[in-house]
Amino acid sequence: MSSDGSSNGSSNGSPTLTLDGKVVPFETGETLYEVARRHTSDVPTLCYDERLEAFGACRLCVVEIEGFRSPVASCTTHAAHGMNVQTKTEKLEKHRKTLMELVCSENPRGVEIDPMRGHASQEMTDLAQRYAVDGTRFEGAQSGQSHPDDPNPMILRDYDHCISCYRCVRVCAEQEGDYAISIANRGFQTQITTEFNGFLKGSECTFCGQCVQTCPTGALADNRALQHTREPGEVELTRSICPFCGVGCSVDIMSKGDKLVGVRPAMDGPANEGALCVKGQFGWEWVQHPERLKNPMVRKDGVLVEASWDEALDRAAEGFRRVRDTHGRHAIYGVASGRAPHESAFSVQKFIRAGFGTNQIDNCSRA
Amino acid sequence: MSNPLRDMEKPDAIFCIGTNMTEAHPVAAMRIKKALRRGAKLIVADPRKIPLAKKADVFLQLRVGTDVALLGAMAHVIVREGLVDENFIAKRTENFAALGEHLKEFTPEWAETITGVPAKDIEQAAIWYGEAANGAIFYTLGITEHICGVDNVQSLCNLVLLTGHIGREGTGINPMRGQNNVQGAGDCGALPNNYPGFQPVTDPANQAKFREAWGVEVDIEEGWTKVRALDECGKKIHAFLICGENTVVSDADRAHCEHALRSLDHMVVIDIFRTETADLADVILPATAWAETDGVFTNTERRPQRVRAAVPPPGVAKPDWWIIAQIAKRLGAPGFDYESPKEVFNELCELSPTYHGLDWDLVAEGRHHWPVPEKGHAGTPVLHIGEFPRGRGLFMTPSYRDPAETIDDDYPVWLTTGRRLAHYHTRTMTGRSVGTEYLVPEELVEVHPDDVADWGLEDGEFAVMSSRRGEVMVKVEATDKSPRGTVFCSFSFSEVPINALTGSGYDPITDTAELKVCPVRIERATTSV
Amino acid sequence: MAHINPSGDQELIERWRDQPASLLPLLHAFHDRDGYLSDDALRAVASGLRIPIADLYGTVTFYHHFARVKGGKARPRVCDGPVCKLQGCDELIVGLDGATAMPCAGRCDGPIPVLQDDEVLIGTQPGALTAAPPLVPPPNPGGIDECVFAEVRDPRRKTLAGYRESGGYRALSRAVREMTPEQVLDVVSGSGLTGRGGASFPTALKWRAVREAGGGPKTVVCNADEGEPGCFQDRVLMDLDPHAILEGMTLAAFATGATRGFIYLRYEYPATQGVLETAIEEARAAELLGTSVLGTELTFDIHVRRGAGAYICGEETSLLNSLEGKHPFPRNRPPYPVTNGFEGTPTAVNNVETLASVPPIVDRGAEWYAGLGAGEHKGTKIISLSGDVARPGNYEVPIGIPLKTVLYDWAGGAPEGRTVQAVTMAGLSGGFLGAEDIEEATLDEPSMRARGSLLGAGGVMVFDDSRDMVEIARQAMSFFAHESCGKCFPCRIGTQRLTERLAGVAGPKEPELWKAEVEDIGRTMAAVSACGLGVAAPGITGSLMRLFPEQVDAHVNGQRK
Ligand SMILES: Cc1cc2nc3c(=O)[nH]c(=O)nc-3n(C[C@H](O)[C@H](O)[C@H](O)COP(=O)(O)O)c2cc1C
Ligand code: SF4
Ligand code: SF4
Ligand code: SF4
Repeated sequence: MSSDGSSNGSSNGSPTLTLDGKVVPFETGETLYEVARRHTSDVPTLCYDERLEAFGACRLCVVEIEGFRSPVASCTTHAAHGMNVQTKTEKLEKHRKTLMELVCSENPRGVEIDPMRGHASQEMTDLAQRYAVDGTRFEGAQSGQSHPDDPNPMILRDYDHCISCYRCVRVCAEQEGDYAISIANRGFQTQITTEFNGFLKGSECTFCGQCVQTCPTGALADNRALQHTREPGEVELTRSICPFCGVGCSVDIMSKGDKLVGVRPAMDGPANEGALCVKGQFGWEWVQHPERLKNPMVRKDGVLVEASWDEALDRAAEGFRRVRDTHGRHAIYGVASGRAPHESAFSVQKFIRAGFGTNQIDNCSRA
Repeated sequence: MSNPLRDMEKPDAIFCIGTNMTEAHPVAAMRIKKALRRGAKLIVADPRKIPLAKKADVFLQLRVGTDVALLGAMAHVIVREGLVDENFIAKRTENFAALGEHLKEFTPEWAETITGVPAKDIEQAAIWYGEAANGAIFYTLGITEHICGVDNVQSLCNLVLLTGHIGREGTGINPMRGQNNVQGAGDCGALPNNYPGFQPVTDPANQAKFREAWGVEVDIEEGWTKVRALDECGKKIHAFLICGENTVVSDADRAHCEHALRSLDHMVVIDIFRTETADLADVILPATAWAETDGVFTNTERRPQRVRAAVPPPGVAKPDWWIIAQIAKRLGAPGFDYESPKEVFNELCELSPTYHGLDWDLVAEGRHHWPVPEKGHAGTPVLHIGEFPRGRGLFMTPSYRDPAETIDDDYPVWLTTGRRLAHYHTRTMTGRSVGTEYLVPEELVEVHPDDVADWGLEDGEFAVMSSRRGEVMVKVEATDKSPRGTVFCSFSFSEVPINALTGSGYDPITDTAELKVCPVRIERATTSV
Repeated sequence: MAHINPSGDQELIERWRDQPASLLPLLHAFHDRDGYLSDDALRAVASGLRIPIADLYGTVTFYHHFARVKGGKARPRVCDGPVCKLQGCDELIVGLDGATAMPCAGRCDGPIPVLQDDEVLIGTQPGALTAAPPLVPPPNPGGIDECVFAEVRDPRRKTLAGYRESGGYRALSRAVREMTPEQVLDVVSGSGLTGRGGASFPTALKWRAVREAGGGPKTVVCNADEGEPGCFQDRVLMDLDPHAILEGMTLAAFATGATRGFIYLRYEYPATQGVLETAIEEARAAELLGTSVLGTELTFDIHVRRGAGAYICGEETSLLNSLEGKHPFPRNRPPYPVTNGFEGTPTAVNNVETLASVPPIVDRGAEWYAGLGAGEHKGTKIISLSGDVARPGNYEVPIGIPLKTVLYDWAGGAPEGRTVQAVTMAGLSGGFLGAEDIEEATLDEPSMRARGSLLGAGGVMVFDDSRDMVEIARQAMSFFAHESCGKCFPCRIGTQRLTERLAGVAGPKEPELWKAEVEDIGRTMAAVSACGLGVAAPGITGSLMRLFPEQVDAHVNGQRK
């Protein structure tokens, strides 16, 4: 009984193993899944999220190791020097198909999952297609119980689609550190729950949406984005940075045509590594809010009225000129924004410094 | 921040003071929670039982505005227990002897009388931070928004210099910047004393550099801070250009602020919404917003990253840089012929030593931490390795001072202000998003349940809260987050303009308002609104 | 509730907070005090032990026996294990006010057990339930030398004095005074003792791995979860011979270097908890446990921790999670408990019978024990026999003895006028053996494995020729479905789908298709499930289809009686 099967290094340098007949190197501590993924093969999985501890629930990633009686889950098995590993034998593919048939049998059939539900929402559908599984074999009871009554407008809890991979629970604990959701009951009766099976608001949930983004079935869904399901066009993603706090999380802005329809964390964002908070995840609807300023305005007879750019810009310039001429260059003051991009702040300070020859400039960091 | 965000997972002891990180910087707080799972010790100092306090190994619930006393006592214990890094002190600091003398009176027992924190907890915190192989400090506005903000920061620096917890992975002194690009605004030189890249305006060499770069005469003296400028409105200041700030709601002492802006001859506001501040302007210019603008933000870990336009702006809204350039050109200012944000940013890089090795294309993936002194440089994730900007680190000897105003018979309650997870600043954005609005639809003043009873208030009912400057109506929430005698409110809701009350004093050096401390009176409202 | 002095929340929390493995006993303290676990109780426990409330809530719902409604704990729970089914437990459940079913409660050799609050009653009629006596094994019908049962029929054996009179603690005194841990390991190794909890892993090998593992404190856990239907030998050992288990654990501690011990006792044995705790008190008072065992350097103490109703908590890694207060899913292995067990430290998890065998082995020698086996096999195993058999009960048998000898000669075979149709092995985990197997098989792992079965924990349930084997299989599978932890897909969904097919509520109506589905599910479960439960469960359907194809066809064709 070895303490753990991790590598014991080859005599000369980095350890290697045989993967589908090819000798490949690996780093000590890597799992077979990590090694396999790095070297071509597409070992399927539904419960894996690289940011989380390997869990070993779905068993789709099983591989055969020479000398082992049964296949092992590659996500929880450490690579060891000299292993001979097969990832795609007929037997394994048959197990995978059976597993997909089983997991598809516990959900409503033939339902399309809108990709706007979340980052990983297509994983299950994609695998079902790959194994040509339609959910009709192994018919029987359905396992999930949706929470349509949860009134929060952000996270749709459509557990009819849930496959109990526990990625949501694990991301909430391991990644977000909130422990807001957990696993109730056991076996086929398992449900994802909050404390006392209540609503998310009132639990420890911070609505960071990470559960939504890791859910491989769309059972947890971005209910803000889903408001735009009917909007015509394909979803386009634009990489950007969250507009709120100084952490600077990377996001993918979702748009359909001219319409902003959602935000998603960038899994490779350097500051956030796939995480967001409620503001970044769900706080974007102000952008296309009807109250946005659409036209310049100038004060006429004490009232602000809409004006053309030329008129407004002339008025703006004229006022500064007047003040400079009557009170001197130090009578003009510029306040740059701590929210607008660099180009804004740089322009404001240059405007004040180069335009008037004064250092009367500040930004809003003092408040 | 002296260290990158990813370092937050690495310290053995984490000291968070004046930072409600799980609400103000949630994704950074995640990393701290990971460090805790790894077994790191967490020390939290805050007047309120903030969510982070629940995760703390020791929670120092200090009376508002007494940070200098607390930190001095921690330094005292670190010296007394021999937890100082003598090698570091000898090689990299100066003025240690004076500090030693100064700290003598900062006993934990004395500090307990000032801060209300049990001496043994102060000792424990000091020992954990002092003993740690890697200790890291995190703070935000809870440290700086005081009349003694600079003293507070110096007190934290003393802890760092005593223990040598700087210049390595998993250490450092890390102010967390509040707004998405407040770091960037400073980097860009939107400061009265510095050109872009923190080059002092009073340095003749810098003056020459910018004179040449822009082909104009430059000012040789520092400008005023915004606080000072507001004081001078209608006197020496007669025109304001305000870009994307709701000054009236976010700044201290709302009445004073409004009065100041109304007394201007000319006021131009560039913004995305018609804010309370825009309402006072002579000209409002509609700007493109986030998701409509290409540009660069620099985050709290000094990482410039690109933001990109995904959708068109409403109406005829234009990017800030374009708007400002148009005004500048009308005034005959040279050097505003920009065609794209790229040109603006590249000019910044050209002129800033901290960005010198960067350009528009290089920040596309946000791989660098500034300073990036030259092209090809990989950036500087950890600051102060081997040396400080001034050479040796200087121990300062700040003394404890009471806040600008202290409680008395008329204003017997401490009010402290801050932020809430679901809202951002003055809610111009989060108040217009369904989800965030659902979570916190209205402002509540947090009062300890015993105080609610003692003061004749009622949970969920309105109260009138007043200070020497104004009064507001606000609903009461009974919660033991607040200690007895201290109440909390955020400034996010214009319905509850909490900054009508604040503004008791300013840090003499930075002019930062003491938003964290304000004596108030709370009474049950006789009529509801 | 029989508690005179209801303690306050804070008192209970103070009592347990700094104890090892504190969650279960603290939950039980509230459960006992209030008769259920209220929301407030869970909130108090969560904040007292600093456990996230959602996690605690989820974990509590995992266990069958924690009542979440007022008065719930006192409601009768009636065993509906396969043998109790034969005795009419369904009618009893209907007849008893507020009664619900519970999985096999480990009393298959007598009338139906009913757990009411902390009392076990037995009977078959609602009005005629009586207190359950401890069941003493009949004298060994084979007249052979016994190991663990040699002294248990003596009623004095339960007390420390009685235990010592019949040679108890002799092995321990000799070991700690005259032997090195290595020597103890050598004796156990030479005896050929393997785990009696199901996996038959060589005990000395496990102990040596713990001894050699780095880090500590090390732990010995006695697995007294005995959840396998049809197994009831561990209860008898604990009730009649508690000191043998304590001595076995202390010997294990000496051999491995462990300093703390836990007995993880299943919920359904409330009286046993008292027996064990009394024995531990006696042992502590006599310096057989504590900081200086028998005046030597050895430090070892034992804590009893009561489970709350989950078969999977008998699986050793799930058990450790349960002890630690975590969600009781099995862990991924490696690493194994011998290096990363309780709270991540080296841990020996051993079954009750395994541990009870150790004192006589150390006392009488490796060769003596090895010689108890039949032929080349070493040692003995208790077989729990129940069901359609004349003399059900626990029999200690030489390993390797023919199954039919025990079944017919010792236990009298099927009742008058009936013949044996099938037996289950290893409780349910070994699936069914049919008439032909019964004729030929011997009671040892090689013989069993050759028949696609297991000796395992030694439960044998007998079904005569009047029984509907598809229905028996359905009961077995629905037990596995009920007890599947829900961690891995093949078992969580597979046990459900197999149960549905055996019950005839879903699945193809055409025998070939039906069998293809059941085979596919079973094959994948056996090959890729994450723990032994999911691996073993399809043994039921596999052996059913192999042994009783006509009954299967009739079932699918809707022609079952
Ligand atoms: C589903 C399942 C349930 C188990 N239940 C028990 C049990 O109740 N008692 C037990 O001793 N072993 C049980 N085991 C076996 C344990 O995992 C472990 O092998 C045993 O406790 C080791 O002790 P031993 O080596 O002395 O047999 C179970 C295993 C599985 C897979
Ligand atoms: S809700 Fe989604 S992520 Fe959570 S367990 Fe279900 S399928 Fe997995
Ligand atoms: S998602 Fe949250 S933590 Fe990240 S930058 Fe935006 S506001 Fe800050
Ligand atoms: S085989 Fe069954 S009991 Fe074991 S881990 Fe999987 S679901 Fe849980």
